[in-house]
Amino acid sequence: MDETELLPIRNFLAEIAPFNELSAESLELCCRNISIGYYSKASKIVPLSTDNPMLYIVRSGAFEVRDADDELVDRLGEGDYFGFPSLLSGEAVSNTVHILEDGLVYHVAPAEFDLLRLQCRSFDRFFNRAYAKRLRHERRYRNRETVTTNRISSLINSALLSVDHNETVIEAARAMRHRHVSSALVLDNGKLCGILTDRDLRNRVLAEGLTGEVAVHQAMTPSPVTIEAKSLVFEAMLLMSEHNIHHLPVMDAGIAIGMVTSTDIIKSQSSQPILLIREIERQQDLPSLIAVSKQIPELLQSLISADARSEEIGRILTSVTDALTRRLIVLNQALLGDAPMAFCWLAFGSQGRQDQAACSDQDNGLLLAEELDAEAKSYFQALAQGVCSGLNDCGYVFCPGDIMAQNPTWMMSLTRWKQKFAQWVENPEPKALMHASIFFDMRPVFGPVNLFDALQDSVLQGTKDNDIFLAALTGNATLESPPLGFFRKFVLERDGTEVKGIDLKHRGSALINDIARVYALSAGIKEVNTAKRIKRAIDAGVLNRKDGLNLADALEFIGHMRLANQGQQFEHRQSLSNYLKPQDLSSLMRHQLVDAFKVVHDSQAAIRLKFMRSF
Amino acid sequence: MASWRHRIGLSYQLWRAQDGLADYYAELSQVLKKDSLAGIPLVAIDLEMTGLNAQIDQIISVGIVPIEQQRLQMAGAEHRLVAINGSVGQSATIHGIVDRQLQQDVMSQQEMLHWLLQQTYGKLMVFHHGMLDITFLSKLTEQVFNRPLHLPIIDTLQIEQRRVMRDRHVIEHGSLRLAACRKRYKLPIYVAHNALIDAAACGELFLAQTAFNAWSKQPLDDYLFWF
Repeated sequence: MDETELLPIRNFLAEIAPFNELSAESLELCCRNISIGYYSKASKIVPLSTDNPMLYIVRSGAFEVRDADDELVDRLGEGDYFGFPSLLSGEAVSNTVHILEDGLVYHVAPAEFDLLRLQCRSFDRFFNRAYAKRLRHERRYRNRETVTTNRISSLINSALLSVDHNETVIEAARAMRHRHVSSALVLDNGKLCGILTDRDLRNRVLAEGLTGEVAVHQAMTPSPVTIEAKSLVFEAMLLMSEHNIHHLPVMDAGIAIGMVTSTDIIKSQSSQPILLIREIERQQDLPSLIAVSKQIPELLQSLISADARSEEIGRILTSVTDALTRRLIVLNQALLGDAPMAFCWLAFGSQGRQDQAACSDQDNGLLLAEELDAEAKSYFQALAQGVCSGLNDCGYVFCPGDIMAQNPTWMMSLTRWKQKFAQWVENPEPKALMHASIFFDMRPVFGPVNLFDALQDSVLQGTKDNDIFLAALTGNATLESPPLGFFRKFVLERDGTEVKGIDLKHRGSALINDIARVYALSAGIKEVNTAKRIKRAIDAGVLNRKDGLNLADALEFIGHMRLANQGQQFEHRQSLSNYLKPQDLSSLMRHQLVDAFKVVHDSQAAIRLKFMRSF
Repeated sequence: MASWRHRIGLSYQLWRAQDGLADYYAELSQVLKKDSLAGIPLVAIDLEMTGLNAQIDQIISVGIVPIEQQRLQMAGAEHRLVAINGSVGQSATIHGIVDRQLQQDVMSQQEMLHWLLQQTYGKLMVFHHGMLDITFLSKLTEQVFNRPLHLPIIDTLQIEQRRVMRDRHVIEHGSLRLAACRKRYKLPIYVAHNALIDAAACGELFLAQTAFNAWSKQPLDDYLFWF
């Protein structure tokens, strides 16, 4: 059979994960060995047989997987799979597959399925992971440093200078002077044949006693070392030091598209966030701080495009916010004079957890060493107002819930803060607790650490092993559940309803934050960052290691999706939101995101069991 | 068991046939001993021709896909090109087979007939608009066995026509074409006019037409057509 004959089948499979990972031969083998069936709604369920397990690939129609308790497990449409768990485990089929709409289904027999798994690791991993509901991203194990993992393509400056190899050196030098560059690409019929650098002009023209009339090709460095646009900045650094050169033409599909110089790399190495923070620390007034803070969205975008881990991005952005807050406090204090007593500026919520992203609002408060008299009150009132409105001007909008230091409610002495927390902990009214949960993610941004520690220690003392409080907190943490998955162009809720998109923050990351908070407070863990809380919870033995790692992976994956989505929105000049439309996702991403949701769902069930003694 | 009408019909053909064709009919009559679709090996077939006139035009390619246990078995699918006298001419624009392809490694018309009879030996053939295909094959059996091909087949077009007439009483122009039939069953759209893809498309349509019930509960008689 001619390999193009089964085009409709092959084209379909080549589009969906993990078949898109197969080599052309494996895919052809797969197409040639499938069997095709048609399932009618009239027969209600797909007869899955334990003796003859198959991988079922939905080509058209709609199916619903329900478990032994008839609970909805998944709804499947074009490009989805079922039947593989018993294929992998050899165990009896426990789920039933209901036919919602008549549909055509491709079947892959065990022999071919096993062969494909042997031939392609990522194919094998895909189904094993889906089966084990485990989420293990290679990303996690790659030691990524934001700067050195930048791609070369992000460094290329747009002002590419190229000269023809027959031009004179004088003409080339003038063009270089005009463009303020130290090098030029030399082209022969549009193809890269060399580069001309300042050093060439010195060593090969002047030092040789030649005139500027010589042709460029006599002076250039022929067949230069080049680098692919997709390479890492790190690799460019290696090449440069290896060959002792300072210029690298950047190639994309055999065409020179730019030049990177050692200066470009040094500039990129000087790490934008650090520069930005230093700049913030240098500013002397609010207007210039506002001007500097305009770079924050750009910083976020460059971090996203550098494919940094979402955890790192959160930490970096938060450290910028912290610096801005501190600078505003210092500037305001310069006007108001020294504080009448020791105080701590507290950050709550996302700033507290160090996971800020785009469009963060401010959540903060003031912790004072002593009770306020009238004079101190007016001082701190003025300070807090100055800082909060300054933050607002810099793009961190006022908290809609008014959880801000300028609100007298959240400007309290240590004793009164302790009382406030004790009130939440000892009398965990679910509704009040729901609003209060962000206070438990607190971190001092400014002020003496021991003052903060005094508060945090007393809070954790109250929460640790406090069954009633933890049960209430768990109840709140599991009110919302992640969606079940995707179905066609919709997000499928657990009750089977469909919505057009998913809020990755409130139905994803926030749920994991809530879970981690419960564990941290139960074990008296001081960390507030969610990833660190999970890690400490594993160390403390309150969270099973495997579940903990899965949860951390889910956090990173959902966070990454959220940022990548915002990166897309930014590129398309849309306003940034946490709202993801499933049609924008690749097949693999959809599957991975569903895995992440499953992990969150299972973790919710685990805390419900552990802290509420319920299922 | 299929009704006496079909069995007698085939026995008559068997009695009149000779040699290879007789053997073929004898094996087919075994199939007619079954009374439901269950357990009957089927083969979905599509022929591409240079035109629609069996007297002038010739077969240029054949695609076959076996159907077993209510499933298309792609492992047994075959696509063969057939040598013709003269040029593919205008029809090349429809099925994309150009003369050059036909010259390399192709069967003669007679070889193709033998091959097809071998592939469908003891099986029921499934066509969409089988009358046309049988007419072309019949012309070949006349050359080889001196007998027209006359046998019961399954025809998805006939099945569909019966359904549409039962449901709506009116058959609109073009509503029985393969693509139009598939659309009614929400089957995916395939690029038409490759014999193998069309054979698979026809096979899938038959699965869809008969999916409402297990094949063991569907009388064979309901699906037999003679041309």
